[in-house]
Amino acid sequence: MTSHTVLIVEDDKWLAEQYFRVLSAKDYKVTTTSHALAAIQLIDDIQPDAIILDVLLTGSTAFTLLHELQSYGDTGVIPIIICTNLADELTLENLSSYGVKQIIDKTKMMPADLVLALQNVLP
Amino acid sequence: MSATFGEHKQFLGGSLTDGIPSLVAAAHELKSPLALIRQLSLMLQENDLMIAEQKNILRQISLTSERALRLTSDLTRSVRLSDALFIMEPINPQQLCEGIVRELTPLFDANNRDFRLVFRKHPLLLIANRDLLRRIIMSFSDNALHYAESDTPIEIKIGLHNDGKTVRLGVRDYGPSLPADVLESLNDKLSNTQNTIHARPQSSGLGLYIASQFASFMNGRIGVTRHRDGSTFYVDLQASLQLNLL
Repeated sequence: MTSHTVLIVEDDKWLAEQYFRVLSAKDYKVTTTSHALAAIQLIDDIQPDAIILDVLLTGSTAFTLLHELQSYGDTGVIPIIICTNLADELTLENLSSYGVKQIIDKTKMMPADLVLALQNVLP
Repeated sequence: MSATFGEHKQFLGGSLTDGIPSLVAAAHELKSPLALIRQLSLMLQENDLMIAEQKNILRQISLTSERALRLTSDLTRSVRLSDALFIMEPINPQQLCEGIVRELTPLFDANNRDFRLVFRKHPLLLIANRDLLRRIIMSFSDNALHYAESDTPIEIKIGLHNDGKTVRLGVRDYGPSLPADVLESLNDKLSNTQNTIHARPQSSGLGLYIASQFASFMNGRIGVTRHRDGSTFYVDLQASLQLNLL
C-alpha cells in the first residue's frame, strides 16, 4: 500500500485516464493535467512525490516545466519519470540534471511499468 | 528560463521538421494512436475490469483506430494527388459539414466535447472536390479535438470573404491562443507548402501539410486565425457563380 501523490502531465486524455486507472489501483493518489503551465500551479497545490511527464504537450513542452522546476529548491528535487513516444531521441544522461530518473518508451511499455518506475524512485 | 521551440527542435535532432512530410513525420503521427491502442488493449487483457469499463475501453480503441486510419488514408491520398482524377463541383458546404458533424459526434461525445456547426441562414455554394474538402475539415476537427482546451466546444463556421468571391470554412477551437511568433511562422509556411507546417509543438505538422496540399489542388488555401481564446483553422475556396441563383 502507498500513500504517495503522483502528478501525471499527459495531453492525451484517454492515455492519462489509463495511467490514472493503473496507478489508482495501486493506491497512488493521482492528479492529471494536460498542460505544462497548469502543472506548475498544481505542483504548488498538491506537492507531488513524483511526476510522470509526457514530452510533447499542448502549449508548452515538457522542457518548459523541467526548467521551471529546477528554478526552485523544493520542486527541483521531485523525481520525474518521462513517458514519451520519443524515448529513442532522449537520453537519461542529458536529462538527469533536470531531475529525470527514468525514461519510459510509450510504444513498448507495459501498464505495470509505471508502477515499477514509481517504486524505483520513491522510498 | 524555458526551452524555446528552436531548442526543442534541436533536441529532437530536427528529424520531425525538415523537408517534405517524410516517413519519420508519418511514423511520429501514427505512434500516438497506436501506443494508446496498445495500452488499452493490454489493459483489457487484465481480468479485473468492470464490464462498463471494458466497454468504455473498447469504444476508445475503435475511435482511436478510426482516427489513425483517417490519417493513413489522407496520407495515401496526398501522395497520389497528382495521379488521380478529382472532380470539382459546386458543393453546399453546410450539407457537407452537417455530415462531418454527424460522423465525428461519437468521437467528440466520447471525449465529452461539444461539436457543432454554426448554421447560416442563407446557404452558400463553393467549388471544390467533395472528398478532399471533407478530409480537410475532418483533419482540422481532429486537430482541434486533440489540442484545444478540454471541456470547450469545437465549432465549424462557414462564411463569405473577399467580396463574396471566397467561401471560408473554419474550425474554431477555444483555449490558449497560439503564440504570436508561432502564428507568424505558420502563416509564412502556409504560403510555402514544400515544408511540413507546425501549429503545435507536439505535432509533426503532417496533418496541416496534407490539408494544405488538398486545398492547393482545389485552387484554395488554408490558414489560421488567432483569437484571444483559441484559434480558427480555415480553408478558403472559390465561391460558386451559381451562388447568385440561390
